[in-house]
Amino acid sequence: MLALLLRRLLQAVPLLLGVIVLNFTLIQMVPGTFLDVMTAEQQVTDQAMIDRLRVTYGVDQPPAIQLAKYIGSVAKLDLGYSYRHNLPVIDVLWAHLPATLLLMFAALLIAVLVGSAAGIVSALKVNTWWDTAVSVFAVLCFAAPSFWLGIMLIILFCVKLGWFPVGGMVTIGLDGGWWTQVMDILHHLFLPALTLGLFYSANYARVMRASMLEVSRMDHVRTAHAKGLKHSAVVLRHMARNAMLPVVTLFGLQLGAVLGGSIVVEAVFSWPGIGGVLFDSVMSRNYPVVLGILVLSSVVVILANILIDLLYARLDPRIKAH
Amino acid sequence: MSTSGLSRRQFNFRSISGVALAASGGWALPSFAQTATPKRGGTLVATWGGLEPQALFVPGGGGSSPFQTSTKILERLLKLDEKLEFQPVLAETITPSADFKQYTITLRKGVKWHDGADFDAKDVVYNFLQHWKPISAGIALKALSKVAAPDSHTVVLTFDQPTPEFFLKSILAGQYQLVVPRHLYEGKDLLTNPLNNTPVGTGPWKYGQWVRGSHVLYARNASYWSANRPYLDKLIIRWWGDPASRAAALETGELSVAYSNPVPARDIDRLVKTGKVVVDTRGYENSAWTVTAEFNQRREHVKRKEVRQALLHAINRQFIVDTIYFGRGKPAISPIFSSNKQFYTDDVPRYAFDPKKAGALLDAAGLPLKDGKRFSVNVVAAAWFEENAKLGQYIKQALEDVGVEVKLDSVDRATALKRIYGDYDYDIAISNFTAPLELVPTVTQFFTTDGIVKGAAFRNATGYSSKDMDALVSQLMTETNPKARQKLAADFAKLASTDVPIVPLVEMESFTLAGKKVRNVTRGANVQGESLDDAWIDS
Repeated sequence: MLALLLRRLLQAVPLLLGVIVLNFTLIQMVPGTFLDVMTAEQQVTDQAMIDRLRVTYGVDQPPAIQLAKYIGSVAKLDLGYSYRHNLPVIDVLWAHLPATLLLMFAALLIAVLVGSAAGIVSALKVNTWWDTAVSVFAVLCFAAPSFWLGIMLIILFCVKLGWFPVGGMVTIGLDGGWWTQVMDILHHLFLPALTLGLFYSANYARVMRASMLEVSRMDHVRTAHAKGLKHSAVVLRHMARNAMLPVVTLFGLQLGAVLGGSIVVEAVFSWPGIGGVLFDSVMSRNYPVVLGILVLSSVVVILANILIDLLYARLDPRIKAH
Repeated sequence: MSTSGLSRRQFNFRSISGVALAASGGWALPSFAQTATPKRGGTLVATWGGLEPQALFVPGGGGSSPFQTSTKILERLLKLDEKLEFQPVLAETITPSADFKQYTITLRKGVKWHDGADFDAKDVVYNFLQHWKPISAGIALKALSKVAAPDSHTVVLTFDQPTPEFFLKSILAGQYQLVVPRHLYEGKDLLTNPLNNTPVGTGPWKYGQWVRGSHVLYARNASYWSANRPYLDKLIIRWWGDPASRAAALETGELSVAYSNPVPARDIDRLVKTGKVVVDTRGYENSAWTVTAEFNQRREHVKRKEVRQALLHAINRQFIVDTIYFGRGKPAISPIFSSNKQFYTDDVPRYAFDPKKAGALLDAAGLPLKDGKRFSVNVVAAAWFEENAKLGQYIKQALEDVGVEVKLDSVDRATALKRIYGDYDYDIAISNFTAPLELVPTVTQFFTTDGIVKGAAFRNATGYSSKDMDALVSQLMTETNPKARQKLAADFAKLASTDVPIVPLVEMESFTLAGKKVRNVTRGANVQGESLDDAWIDS
């Protein structure tokens, strides 16, 4: 276990370096710099002022030096300074991280629960109308663009029915104890998490269904039935647990992408997450923030992989033996 | 969400008499024009058609978003009201000397900064010398040579040359000339001061809390210099990333007022029909938007005046307004817009849509059709507004109809800024600008030789340089007789429309959407930057 952890952490160093160098190069190759955007926004026309800004933001140095300086500062856990937010990058990320994590975990939870349940149902009732209904549901959720689904949910639940707020994460200026605050956040969280969760759940439903069908033909399932176990016990303990492995793999993949957030859903529901920051930063060539988010994302990928490895071992003891 | 720093808007105008032409859309005039006794209390939630600002106050500008957030806390010396007249804010009077080389500013007494310190002449001197002249209004205040404070509430400005009163007042009431506290800024870098995220000002609203990605909350300044104001208890500026959810929030009442084209033009009628929302096109006189075609003077063919004039005859501006802007705008005829009652003139050369004439003029210019084409141009459309990309496609079609081959590049914001204003890598560029009533320097520097600054956006990127134009603009800068100035402005419009290095094609219409009960939210000549001290909510 410890060896696995150490190996993974060691692997992380070249990965992080690769992420930084690759993305830095890509950003350098994109036409237009944040200085162009900044001088345009601030209507700076004075050459002296432009030169002063170049020095202030360190872009008067050649790219190789900028890269070396950046790697040096990341090694010291300093992700640089975002001119656009007038804050250190780490503070910008910190401000948006909780919202993104909350939304993504809620969405993944909905996805795994709804998707797995749907997959199990459709595998048990294979080739019946249940199965067809689940397939149609999965295709619809997967094919419907999330901005469309989001807006439709807003129109139905917020504008017509008035059950949920249109956007944001909290009611501004709400007074009350922690319970009120928590309920308020959940109230705001429901629709965006549902939109995103339904989109992801389609994948889980399909994977779970295929996996369940495969497992159901295995010897140990027949044995379990033969020794007289109740159907529900066979399904939950013998089939579902074994069928979970591909679902866990999928979960791991999505967990790694959790920081990227969902730009679209965040925009539709004005969710104050990291996706919007990333989008804005790319558009304004604000590379310290883009790099910062990518570096942080690769850290999350590494952590998610370790977590998934541990989960595999828990679900299937044979994996640990190897 | 294609734009952030540049505002997402289209345009507005009033006729010279001040009657809102926009009512032609079939909307009733907004009820917030009514005068009733303002009520105290309540919370107003405002937004605009763009995203969160980079900082609540960005020295030198930063676009419409920080303009909206900063002007609630920080104030200017003057404001331009809805009748397009200057009103005192922090300055009570601004009086020129007989030769217009000296101005005496009397400041309002008894004004306090939000931290309790007194506001006085030293603050204003600091802003002139450290903020406005070096950062936010360098070109406009070039001739300012001395700023003195003879007593605690008087400031005397000395200029190298005569300075027109309307010009100076326009600069002081302009978007970027906010008064920041000297005692908190002096000796620190203005641009990167962390205080820019939590500004301290003299305005009706104090900084409360800024939740990144969501909203900024303002608290009422109970000791504001204007008694009883602000009328509201709380002000919130909140950002919705998506126009459709912005529209939904207006419908549910979660959003009270949204400036600068918060929803696509085609959605306005639907929202107004719900009976919960009213539309208003007033209040954008001092920030009128246009979409322009710029002709690069460094490139063959388009550097010739007769070729440019011919190409303009191939473009149908009314078609652009009707199709691309859904009728929310009108064809522009010169760099001085019809909403500018100070300087507007219609006595300028015009280029009616006439492809035959365009062809004939190109023939006469020695560019006849050969194998179905005359020459090729590279059109760069700055796609920060989706309309610009559509306009690029239209221009391609229109020019190809007269035998000019077009290579069209629709590029994103940063690429467009670099290609048009940095590398000058285009033949014809589709871009935008927003202009206040005063022509100098915002409008004139698209035409003057000193407006050519490589890398500086929204300046003379065409490389156009004319002795007559430079002379005209320097007269405009120093002519102090208002009538004579209007005459010079008319000459400027004529020359600009004759040489056509950069041509405004459409005067875009800007609009505000507001809840039915909201009052006094569209007063002023540039409403997104009004302090909302007199806004209130009717029961």
